Amino acid sequence: MFTVPVLSQIVLNGFVLAAIYTLVALGFTLIFGIMRIINFAHGEFAMLGGFLVFFMLQVANMPFFVALPLASFAVAGGGLVLEALVYRPFYQKELQGMIATIGLSTVIVYSAVLLFGSHQRSIPASFTAIFTIGPVILPADRLAVLTVAAIALAAFYVFITFTRIGLAMRVVAQDLEIAEAQGINARATYRAAFFVATFLAALAGGLLAQLYSLSPFMGTLPLVKSFIVVILGGLGSIPGAAAGGLVLGMFESFVSTFYGLSVAQFASLGAVIVLLVLRPEGLLGRAER
Amino acid sequence: MSEQASVGIRFHVAIRRSKLLRAGAALLVLVGWPLVIRGNYLVYIATLVCLYAIGAMSLHLILRMGQVSLGHAAFMGLGGYTSAVLVTAADLPFVLGLFAGGAVAGMLAGLIGPILLRLKGVYFVLVTFTLGEIVRLVFVEWISVTGGSSGIYQIPAPAPLFLDLTAYYYLALAAAMLVGLFCNRLLSSDIGRAMQAMRESESLAEANGIPILRIKVVMFVVAAVLVGFQGSLEAHFIRYISPLSYDFSESLRFLVMNVIGGLNSLAGPILGALFLVVLPEMLRGWVEIQWVLYGIALILIIRYVPGGLVDFAARILAFLMAPRQVGVS
Amino acid sequence: MRMLHPVGVVGVLSLLLLGSGQGLAQEELKIGAVGSLSGGGTDWGVATQRGVDLAVAEVKAQGGLHLGAKAYMPRVIMYDDQYTGQGGTTAAQRLVNVDGVSFIIGPIGSPAVLGVLNVTRPRNVVVLSDGFSPKILVPESTHNFRVSLTTLEFAPAIVRWLREHQPEVKRVAVISPNDAVGQQVVPILVNAYKANNFTVAFDEKYERGMNDFTPILTRILAGGVDVLELDSNAPGEAGLLLRQARQLGFKGTIIQTGGPAVEEAMKVAGPLAEDFLSYEIFDPADPRGAAFIKAYREKHEGPINAYAPIMYNATQILFEAMRRAGSVEVEPVRTSLEHLTGYDTIFGPVRWGGKSEYGIDHQLLTDFLLVRLKNGKVEMVSHLSP
Repeated sequence: MFTVPVLSQIVLNGFVLAAIYTLVALGFTLIFGIMRIINFAHGEFAMLGGFLVFFMLQVANMPFFVALPLASFAVAGGGLVLEALVYRPFYQKELQGMIATIGLSTVIVYSAVLLFGSHQRSIPASFTAIFTIGPVILPADRLAVLTVAAIALAAFYVFITFTRIGLAMRVVAQDLEIAEAQGINARATYRAAFFVATFLAALAGGLLAQLYSLSPFMGTLPLVKSFIVVILGGLGSIPGAAAGGLVLGMFESFVSTFYGLSVAQFASLGAVIVLLVLRPEGLLGRAER
Repeated sequence: MSEQASVGIRFHVAIRRSKLLRAGAALLVLVGWPLVIRGNYLVYIATLVCLYAIGAMSLHLILRMGQVSLGHAAFMGLGGYTSAVLVTAADLPFVLGLFAGGAVAGMLAGLIGPILLRLKGVYFVLVTFTLGEIVRLVFVEWISVTGGSSGIYQIPAPAPLFLDLTAYYYLALAAAMLVGLFCNRLLSSDIGRAMQAMRESESLAEANGIPILRIKVVMFVVAAVLVGFQGSLEAHFIRYISPLSYDFSESLRFLVMNVIGGLNSLAGPILGALFLVVLPEMLRGWVEIQWVLYGIALILIIRYVPGGLVDFAARILAFLMAPRQVGVS
Repeated sequence: MRMLHPVGVVGVLSLLLLGSGQGLAQEELKIGAVGSLSGGGTDWGVATQRGVDLAVAEVKAQGGLHLGAKAYMPRVIMYDDQYTGQGGTTAAQRLVNVDGVSFIIGPIGSPAVLGVLNVTRPRNVVVLSDGFSPKILVPESTHNFRVSLTTLEFAPAIVRWLREHQPEVKRVAVISPNDAVGQQVVPILVNAYKANNFTVAFDEKYERGMNDFTPILTRILAGGVDVLELDSNAPGEAGLLLRQARQLGFKGTIIQTGGPAVEEAMKVAGPLAEDFLSYEIFDPADPRGAAFIKAYREKHEGPINAYAPIMYNATQILFEAMRRAGSVEVEPVRTSLEHLTGYDTIFGPVRWGGKSEYGIDHQLLTDFLLVRLKNGKVEMVSHLSP
């Protein structure tokens, strides 16, 4: 099994998984790091992004690369409404925020069932080409996903490191009191963070829908993976989410190809527990204050 | 003042004074109603409420210490599977199955508790979540013992008598009351006070010499044993179990019961269990939007009545029982 | 001229009116239904609802179910079983004890079916359900019937066909979910393959909800197989497996002895679905099947889940049994159901079987098809019998 085609396939698969996991986990960790809410509805924003892309492609006949960012902006915009209605009263209140997001998740999922039906549906493949470089097989749709994810992550990095808002977010995540003392508008920062987080999630959802399929229930898996990624990388840590995503993606790809899926499942969950016990702040996080 | 009004006031006062009378009245209602209102479906629902109250109260013990567990259903599953397997495969009597179920759940809690309970806050939440997933996967994959995803069928009732729904209701009611009394005792004892102190400030409590980790582990084990009992009782009631009965959404249910019911007293999880078992049943008429309404209800309650239903009920009771101006004749 | 006495006129007129109206005294007939309207089995539950509703609508359009002088207006009462045993039990409790139904259509998942049977068996309520568990049809199943084929009925014939028509093929990989259906059904399928001289090189299970099959497919393809068997995968996942396998360069036979998921496979895999072989329940070219499809399309869009026609059929069979028994009481209808052999349905004539496998002839046996996707169209390959 250690042939170049197989190994290269595994690495490619790993990168694709890592890209998607990171996109979703980033938003999740942002919301926790800045607003201290475990957003159980995070996967649902991905699902909404996927559905919106689907409708834009089907109904408005837009090209995929136009529909995707548009849909993500729309979901993020809609998310701001939810932010005001549902999230805002619970910032910094971990337990109650968690329950509220659980309720929201249920509302979104079953509203989607009512609106769209429960069956799985798939986006007509926008990329059917399959490239082969020597023995390595590169389906075009996966390449597209990698490209989009890479651009999005790079843009996010620039945003968080070099812009005022990005800096404000990092400061608020670090210490709310000091941030406010410095004159940073916490409310505006929260809104910005929520927008960015939801945008990324919707983007991931659109990519997931392109690669796999859509259903109102598809948000659970991205959520669970987000949990694992942020545990690996450290809750609230942005580079941690990226690192965790890469580690999880590669790990799953390798282990499941060589040992099958159930082993991979047990192994990743077991590794998570071990990590949490030995180093709860993850690979790159800070210790809980 | 009229005769009627003065009698009314005296009755009012008597009721308020006699806690025993109130308890007795409540007991009469709880025990007597199935004999008056004949309805299998209602008895069935009431039994589920009693069973879930046990699990919710057990989670309450953990929550009182300021730790949130998202893996509680795993221990319920251990109790259920142990009991079901022992009774169906090894032909052991139900009582042994029940206690074995609690014991197995307690043992796992005792083994990993000391390790996991060192984590606090969100990390504890995530690690219990992971634990729940691993245990569920074991139920799914260990086909030779658990039957895998197909589950275990035709689990016998504890005794032929208990095939009758009303009889099982009384069993569940008795169990729930015992557990309630036990938890109440526990929470009002020294340990309970220590837990309260821990919840308010761990560092202060530690400084006062409270053995934090030990108490946490003990409570964790007790909670696991109790919910293990629920698992066993429920398995022999529904008479079918599968890994789906013990997944993440079940753990979530226990947590939601506690939060909605109220985190500050034992009445919280009881009320929460009542609410969360009955509510989906009341919404059955609207099959499709049932779950949407359920989610909205959750958000509204956690937003506007954060002290939970207990808080809500207390406010209403206070309003009703407030001394009123008696009309001057 | 003497005036006709007013009372007399009124009297005669009333008698006339009463007489004409008497032809149809209407009574309500409650039909219970159980299906997953939330949770993992929602597709099937919704399909059940649609199928049952269609059959009932047809009867209502005829003015009700005519039994002698009476006409019964059927009314469906459906509850969500949440795809769990507890959900099935609760739904059945409500139907039987609160709503007072004597006939239940559905559910589909074995846990829910067994939950329902727990309630209905002691009360002699007739149940027409699906469910793969061997505990559903047993000699004591006097009042429940299974209305769709299980792997035990259709797999052997299909695998035999494969052996006859692709003699050079040897190694098979089976991919299925590790849920109750997958775990139950795959051993039966594996046995069928072994009995026909195939080597089952891979028997891989995955957790439902997971969508990236490339690692598992890479593993399988590296091991070299001739046939990829998609068996008990849900339609969406079957389509994905098909697409991803072809994307990875798999050139062998891809078949699904289960499902059927043909429509979904076409949607998901597009041109990559070419040559996909699948089990199919009815022939869309058959005029009876076409009528159902048309009626369905008038109300709903999207791919037709197989359980819609199956449960439509079940409801129709129930109504016919009532007509032949001339009654809506449980015992006469039950007996009538058992003797319904030969009644023509969208799946062909009714035939009950299963005595040798289950101990009682309560398994509906229908002919089925093996189909292939060619140029975006479903092509019939062979008519097969259980």
